[in-house]
Amino acid sequence: MQGGSTGIVYGGLKYQARCIADVKADANNTSFLAGTLSLKEENEVHLIRLSPSAAELVCEGLFYHPGEIWDLASCPFDSRLFSAVFASGETNGAVIWKIPELYGQSNSPPLEQLVSFDGHPCKIRSILWWPIGKHDKVISIDEQNLFLWSLDCSRKIAEVQSQESVGVLHHLSGGAWDPHDRNTVAAFCDSSLQCWDLRTMKKTNSIELVHVRDADYNPNKQHIVATAEDETGIHLWDLRMPNFPFSELPGHAHWTWAIRHNPQYDQLILSSGTDSTVNLWLTSSNNSDDSTSESQSDSPTQKMDPLLNSYTDYENSVYGIAWSSREPSMFASLSYDGRVVVESVKSYLPRK
Amino acid sequence: MDEKAKRTRELLASFYSTEASTAGRAVPVSPSRVATLDSINSPSFDPDVYMNLLHVEMAAEIKNLDTDLQMLVYEITTNSSNNIVGMEANMEQLLEKIISVQSKSDGVDTSLFAKREKIEKLHRTRNFLRKIQFIYDLPGRLQKCIESEAYADAVRFFIGAKPIFEAYGGSSFQECKISSEETMKLVIENLKGKLYSDTEPIEARAEAVVLLKQLNFPVEDLKNKMLDKLEDFLLDFHKESKRMDHQCLPDNIPDSERRLIELAQDLFTKRYETIQQRITEQLSSEALMLALRDIWSDVSLMDQVLPEAALPVISLEASRGVIKKYITGAFSALLRYVSEALTGPQTSPKGTEEQRTLQTALESSKKAVIQGSMDCLLDFRHLLDDTFELVTKMRDLIVDWVQEGFQDFFKALNRHFLMLCGKIDIIKNRVNAAEGFRAEKVQTGLVLVLAQLSIFIEQSAIPRITEEIAASFSGGGLRSYEYGPAFVPGEICRLFRSASSSFLQIYITMRTQKISTLLKKRFMAPNWIKHKEPREVHMFVDLLLQELHGVGAEVRQLLPSGLTQRHHRTESTGSTNSSRSNPLREDKISRSNTQRARSQLLESHLAKLFEQKMEIFTKIEHTEESIVSTIVKLSLKSIQELVQLQTLNRSGYQQIQLDIEFLKNPLKEIVHDEAVIDFLLKEVTNAAHERCLDPILWRRRSSTSSSRQSWSRTRSRIPGK
Repeated sequence: MQGGSTGIVYGGLKYQARCIADVKADANNTSFLAGTLSLKEENEVHLIRLSPSAAELVCEGLFYHPGEIWDLASCPFDSRLFSAVFASGETNGAVIWKIPELYGQSNSPPLEQLVSFDGHPCKIRSILWWPIGKHDKVISIDEQNLFLWSLDCSRKIAEVQSQESVGVLHHLSGGAWDPHDRNTVAAFCDSSLQCWDLRTMKKTNSIELVHVRDADYNPNKQHIVATAEDETGIHLWDLRMPNFPFSELPGHAHWTWAIRHNPQYDQLILSSGTDSTVNLWLTSSNNSDDSTSESQSDSPTQKMDPLLNSYTDYENSVYGIAWSSREPSMFASLSYDGRVVVESVKSYLPRK
Repeated sequence: MDEKAKRTRELLASFYSTEASTAGRAVPVSPSRVATLDSINSPSFDPDVYMNLLHVEMAAEIKNLDTDLQMLVYEITTNSSNNIVGMEANMEQLLEKIISVQSKSDGVDTSLFAKREKIEKLHRTRNFLRKIQFIYDLPGRLQKCIESEAYADAVRFFIGAKPIFEAYGGSSFQECKISSEETMKLVIENLKGKLYSDTEPIEARAEAVVLLKQLNFPVEDLKNKMLDKLEDFLLDFHKESKRMDHQCLPDNIPDSERRLIELAQDLFTKRYETIQQRITEQLSSEALMLALRDIWSDVSLMDQVLPEAALPVISLEASRGVIKKYITGAFSALLRYVSEALTGPQTSPKGTEEQRTLQTALESSKKAVIQGSMDCLLDFRHLLDDTFELVTKMRDLIVDWVQEGFQDFFKALNRHFLMLCGKIDIIKNRVNAAEGFRAEKVQTGLVLVLAQLSIFIEQSAIPRITEEIAASFSGGGLRSYEYGPAFVPGEICRLFRSASSSFLQIYITMRTQKISTLLKKRFMAPNWIKHKEPREVHMFVDLLLQELHGVGAEVRQLLPSGLTQRHHRTESTGSTNSSRSNPLREDKISRSNTQRARSQLLESHLAKLFEQKMEIFTKIEHTEESIVSTIVKLSLKSIQELVQLQTLNRSGYQQIQLDIEFLKNPLKEIVHDEAVIDFLLKEVTNAAHERCLDPILWRRRSSTSSSRQSWSRTRSRIPGK
């Protein structure tokens, strides 16, 4: 199954890029934000919109951005806000930007800085929004600390509400906010995934000895987390049983870099890897129901291949993937060479 | 110096471990250098003076001690001698008293002696008379026993009296003996009667046999007669019961018949159970057949007299169970055998023995699989070849069982292999998974052995077993046609083919994981923006090469090289570039030396344009070349990814450039697909170039000289190179 040229390609990014995010709050359009990564040139953020006919990708806005973008997230309740973690030479920071009103200008207006997350002792890795809707808190993660900010968009201020250090032994690389429990956030590093309670700022749970590159909560099933690991592929965990994964997927030929659950179909998982592919997986739905899973795995020949499709039309490692929350059968992917491809998975959706 | 002083000095000398020679040397004490014993710590310490002084003091002390000792000895002797004198007087008094007591007791003894003798004599006489009385009473007593049917008592009495009859039977007790023996004959007759009597309970009859045996009666004859009688009885009983049946009297006799049937059935069930127990002790098929035959002949005999017990049916059922159990038992033994062959030698020490161990593990487990299976088949064929009617009835069943057995055996073996790798079906064995999942102790060598063993099973063992089965175990057919034959070699082959490739995958994952850890430490830890000017090739290069050589050494033991011709880079002319390559490059095989540099550039461009993915992540083959090159490719790709995560200053860039430059030649010796190595190394330097704030190339000359130095340094360090 070779995913040929079924996708809609957007070639507008001039430089290399890692980050793409779904604009959740835009109820009228399927749109994505992508940010570039160039050391020497002026970096850009592109607001990309899928045309109503779903035939092409249109650049809805192009904004210059100071520093290269290492992390990008769109605000789930205001389509004009997004957070970016950037680096420029030795400086590193994180900012919430506001996209200026667009009146069809051809020249790109400057982004308005809403707040800046200052005071991090280490390199900031990730900014997390509460994934479901309006919430006045934002989390920032640096290599050794978790910061909980209380955000006031109208007054354009963000204050540190609480913070906690995870210790120098772990180099955090990112995190995921539990969509079922706004008091729980999972932070991951090279050797473990740790769940933190934001009220007490205490570690409540952890999955040890996994080399997590990315992690994603299942938005439709509580306690379920998928992790992407460098060599060992993808594991699915029930956080109530953190000692062993309940399922595993082979992942990619090289490292599995990113992983995302589909916002609507909880059995669909998308992963991207440094082998220049994006894989679409169908997982067994009943992780806790022994009888059905057993009958399924009774005979290896009858076992279904979990890989639904492998999209291979990329020239370079794929670091960015994002499902559209407005159109859950669509996803956008971004390869390192700056190519955005939007694909539809409609033909693979489970028949109901 | 006198003898005593000399000895003291020697003792002291040995105690303080000063040299013995100084002890013997006499040193005159100069009056000007008077020293005290405390001077040992002072700077003016003179050992000879000190020793003399010490000697004088010691002598004085010894004298003091001597006088003290003498005083003590004197005191002790005077005191104790006084006590001892007093004790002696007391002891003499005591002795006198004891002697008087003894003489008095002697007097009493002599006066009573005569009376005691008489009493003892009377007692003996009385016992004797009692015995005679018993002998005389014996006939009557035996008679009484017969009357009361207390045969056990009778036998006991008679045996008790027997020694006396043997000694005196000829003279005084002749009459008694004769009458007793006559009575005993009666007893024996009665016992026999009891034995043959059908109305007696079985316990009483057994008792009778025991008693007869005690009387030295020839029991063997009795047994034969008894058996004849039993058969007669059974026949009679049979006729009787038939008659009874006709007479419609189901109340009385059928009950006992049912009991008999139950008894017979019980007997045979027990015998089959014994065989089942023996199966667990690895019975051969001949022994099994012998045992089954044995029972069967008994069954047929019984069946002639007692068809109502349906013994053949029960027996068929039971033998079927026994044979099935035998077959499954044989297969589980085979599984154990293979697993032992596989993991057994793995525990032996590492190092130089490892090479031998991996190979022997593979060879012995190969042998275990093929030989074990062949032995099983041979054994089962004995079952089939047997002319024994019971087995011929079950022929089809046995064929099915053997086929099923092989099918299940190979499935179980496959599961076992996966478990050894720590890769078990997580969902299915959730409980075991808790321990098994993190089995990080899995040895990479074992995984390779499993991969090769799986290939062997797929390519050699299964075809041979299939052949054997087709020759001797075809047919079956008790399974309905829609299921087809129980043994599906295609399915098993598929299973092991996929297993062997997944074992290779696991091996590669394990190895690259280790390399990744090394690389991550190298590239994630330093601050690349503040990197210092490169001085020499970084350590990680050595470690990486060492790791790769380790992989090569391990893989080489078990897998074919995969190259038709191994060649060294120094000898390479570019014409025999690589035997495993894509068609695009095969076209270029005959190419002159001068074009080489240009063509390589072109190749990497072409690769970049068309075949990047295909080249890097090719399908893994069962060859050393394929595995090693896959691991190298994955490692280089990892380096590229790690570099892309960093921001470098000029020195950082140059360091990476230097390291990569140095990696080039050793990697090309390891992997023969030079174009891919060139391409991937180029990718790393390109990535470093892109991520560098100020990319200026390292001066070529110093780079190569430095690289040469490190090269020779590394060469000497890597073992076996």
